[in-house]
Amino acid sequence: MKIGIRVTNPATKEYNCIAWAAGDDKRFWWPLGGYWPPVVPRQVSLESFIKVFNNLGYEKCDNGDLESGYRKIVIYAQSDGIPTHAARQLDNGKWTSKLGKAEDVEHDGLVLPIISYGLPVLFLRRKKSLYLPS
Amino acid sequence: MTITQTTHSNYRIARFEQSPGLSEDSQKNITKVKAIAEHFNASASRQGGIKQRFYLLSKQWKNDTQYLSSINEMVLHPAYQQIVGMGPGAIPLILLELKTDPDYWFEALKAITGIDPVVENDMGNLSKMTESWLDWGRVNNHIR
Repeated sequence: MKIGIRVTNPATKEYNCIAWAAGDDKRFWWPLGGYWPPVVPRQVSLESFIKVFNNLGYEKCDNGDLESGYRKIVIYAQSDGIPTHAARQLDNGKWTSKLGKAEDVEHDGLVLPIISYGLPVLFLRRKKSLYLPS
Repeated sequence: MTITQTTHSNYRIARFEQSPGLSEDSQKNITKVKAIAEHFNASASRQGGIKQRFYLLSKQWKNDTQYLSSINEMVLHPAYQQIVGMGPGAIPLILLELKTDPDYWFEALKAITGIDPVVENDMGNLSKMTESWLDWGRVNNHIR
């Protein structure tokens, strides 16, 4: 299977996939040893990651299909349910990911060539017009 | 007695050679000096070994964790765990590594030292976390 993937930004350790999905390219978001929104418990669990994105106006949705007027996030997890990665949908329906401490990439689908990410397990969406005070 | 110096892993090693025809006191002094030198050489060799081991493990860790966003997984990597297991001897090496190529060494430093100089507001900011630890290292004479 061919995976359509293109590098869009050079490698940096300043931010990671969770930050990038949340729209932050200045901090490394992680419950242990990273930035974590103060209102969310510092736990490496799917529930905690969902709360992070709830806090940014996202709500659970059924799939990663492109929906007019919505921005979507996908969370990846290993088989034990521990979150590993997140990606954000672009206006063209493709996805953008920050690969750990490496590059940002644009990918056509949800399959990524990094086994340790596991699989996409949860989708969230929010209205693009939603205003969130910083 | 002649003293020669050689270089081994960035440490100058003193070697003492005994000359014939010395008094008993001189022989005793030489024995004492040799014991001190052997202790120094062994210590220097250990330091060189730690340094070499640290950089091998560090390189392995960086290579294997470059695509990870999970600090938990980074910390659980066997190479990282071995560096933590080196104890206080690894502190100056980690701080030097932080200075030249900042990375997520903070959990290792916390585990070894039992402290965390990073304030909550700086969590996740690699530059600020690095600077907090380098400041700590300077204050505590781990780096110059």
